[in-house]
Amino acid sequence: MRGRRVDWALVVLLGPPLLFLLLLFAFPLLRVVWGSVFAPDFTLAFYQRMVAVPVYGRVFWITLKIGLLTTLFAALLGYPAAYFLASLSPRKRQALLLCVIVPFFLSVLVRNYVWMVLLQRTGLVNRTLLGWGVITRPLDLMYNELGVLIAMVNMLLPYMIFPVLSALLAIPPDLGHASASLGAGAFRTFWRVTLPLSLPGVAAGALLVFIVALGFFITPALLGGPKQMMISNLIEFSVRQVLNWPFAFALANTLLVGTLALYFVYVRLLEGRLPRTGLP
Amino acid sequence: MKVAVGVLGALVLAFLVVPVLSVIPMSFSSSMVFELIPSEPGFTQYRRFFASPEWMVALGRSVQVALGTTVLATALGTLAALGLSRIRSRWRPVLEAALISSRIVPSIVFAVAAYFVFSQVGLVGTILGLVLAHSVLAFPFVVVLVSTALAGFDRSLEEASRSLGAGPVRTFFRVTFPQIRLAVFGGALFAFNVSFDEVVVTLFISGVRSKTLPVKVWDAILYEITPILPAISTLIIAASVLLLTPLLLYRRRS
Repeated sequence: MRGRRVDWALVVLLGPPLLFLLLLFAFPLLRVVWGSVFAPDFTLAFYQRMVAVPVYGRVFWITLKIGLLTTLFAALLGYPAAYFLASLSPRKRQALLLCVIVPFFLSVLVRNYVWMVLLQRTGLVNRTLLGWGVITRPLDLMYNELGVLIAMVNMLLPYMIFPVLSALLAIPPDLGHASASLGAGAFRTFWRVTLPLSLPGVAAGALLVFIVALGFFITPALLGGPKQMMISNLIEFSVRQVLNWPFAFALANTLLVGTLALYFVYVRLLEGRLPRTGLP
Repeated sequence: MKVAVGVLGALVLAFLVVPVLSVIPMSFSSSMVFELIPSEPGFTQYRRFFASPEWMVALGRSVQVALGTTVLATALGTLAALGLSRIRSRWRPVLEAALISSRIVPSIVFAVAAYFVFSQVGLVGTILGLVLAHSVLAFPFVVVLVSTALAGFDRSLEEASRSLGAGPVRTFFRVTFPQIRLAVFGGALFAFNVSFDEVVVTLFISGVRSKTLPVKVWDAILYEITPILPAISTLIIAASVLLLTPLLLYRRRS
C-alpha cells in the first residue's frame, strides 16, 4: 500500500520533466542520428563523404588541434592560478575566486566580441604596442589561430582552475611540512609531493576543457579565419548555407558521439577520485 | 618560487576579468572609433540603443523569452529534483545524468536537432519555440541547485506533516518549499541568465521573425561593427551581474 503511494508521487514529480526532455531533447537528437543514416534509405554515404573529402578531414584535424592546444595552454596557465588561489587564506581565496566564477557566467557572445575589439588591427592591444614603440606595424592577432586560442583559453580556464584547485586543497598540509623537515627545498617538495598529488585534478580539468573545446562555435566563427573552421562551424555552414541536412546530421552525430564518449571516460576515470568540482 | 607562482597566478586571474571589463569604459565613448578612455565621455551610445525601436523590440523579446524560460525551467527542474530526492536505488545516478545531459551535449548539435524538428511543427521563429529550447538548456541548473538544497533537508519533517493529516500538496507548500525556497529562487535567476545570454541555439530557431538581443548583437558584429555594441555589451554584463549577485551572496552565507 505504502509502496504504491510513493510510486504515484514519483510519477507526478518525474513524469513532466522526463516527458519534456524526451520530446524536446531526446527526440530531436535521435532524429539527428536517424537522419544521418536514412535519407530516406539506409546509407553511410554521408559518413564516407566526411572521411573521403580532404577539406572535411582537415576540419576534423583543425578541431582536434585547436582543442589540444587550448587544453595545453589552459593547463599551463590554470595550474599557477589554482596554486596561487590554494596558497591564500580561505577569506582571500573566496574573494579572488570571484575573478574565476563571475566571467564564467557572463555572456559568451559579449566576451568574444570584446576579444575582437581588443585584438583587431586597430584594436587596443595593437594601438598600445604601437604607442609604446614595441612594434612598428600592427600585428595580426585575430582571424587566425592565435586569436581563436587566446579567446578559447580565456573562456575555458575556469574548467581547469576549479578541479586543480580542489585537488590542491585536498592535499593535507602536513605532507609539505614533512617533506620540508626531511630536508627537501620548496621546489623539490612541489615536484615530488604537490604536483603528483594534484595531477588527477589536472587530468580532470584537461578532459573537461578538451570536451567543451571540441564543440566551440562562436569563437572560431568570430575570431578565426577560413582556416580555423571547426566541426561546429562546418555543421552550421552545411545547414544554413548549403542546406545539406543529412551531411550536417552525420557531422553533428560524430561530434555528439565523440563528446559523450569522452564524457563517459571523464566520469569513469575521475569521478570518485576527486572532490566535486563545485560547478553545476 | 612562491613569489613567481603568485605573480603568474595573479596575472592569469587578471587575464580572466580585465578584458571583459575593458568594454565598460569603451561604452561611454561618443566617437566612432573605439577608445579605452573616451575623449568625450557620455551616454550617447546608450541613448542610441534605447531610442532604437529595432533594438528595443529585440530586448523586449529577449526578456519575454527569458521570463517564460524562468517559469518553465524552474517548475520542471524543481519537480525533477523533488522526484530525484525520493529515489534511493542504483538508478538514481542514471536518472541524474539523464536530467542534466543537455549541459553536456554541444550546443550546435542541439541547435541543429531543434531547428530540424521545430521547423516541421512550426515552432521556428516563435516565442514558444524559444522558451521550450531555452528551458531544455536552463533546467539542469535548477535540478542541481534544488537537489543540493534537498540533500540537506530532513525528510522526517514531511512524514510528521503527513501524519498530522496534511495532504501532499499542503505538506509541500508548508513544509518542503520553505526549506528549498532560496535554491528555487537561485535556480530561477540562473534560468533567466541562461536564456537571456543564449545565442547558438537561438541563432538557428529564432528565424528572421523573432531575433533576440544576442542574435541581433551577433548580426551587428558580423555585418556592421557599430560603436553601439560596447554599450549593449555593458548592459548584458550588468544584467548577468545583477542576476548572479544574490546567488553569490547566498553561497557565501551557507
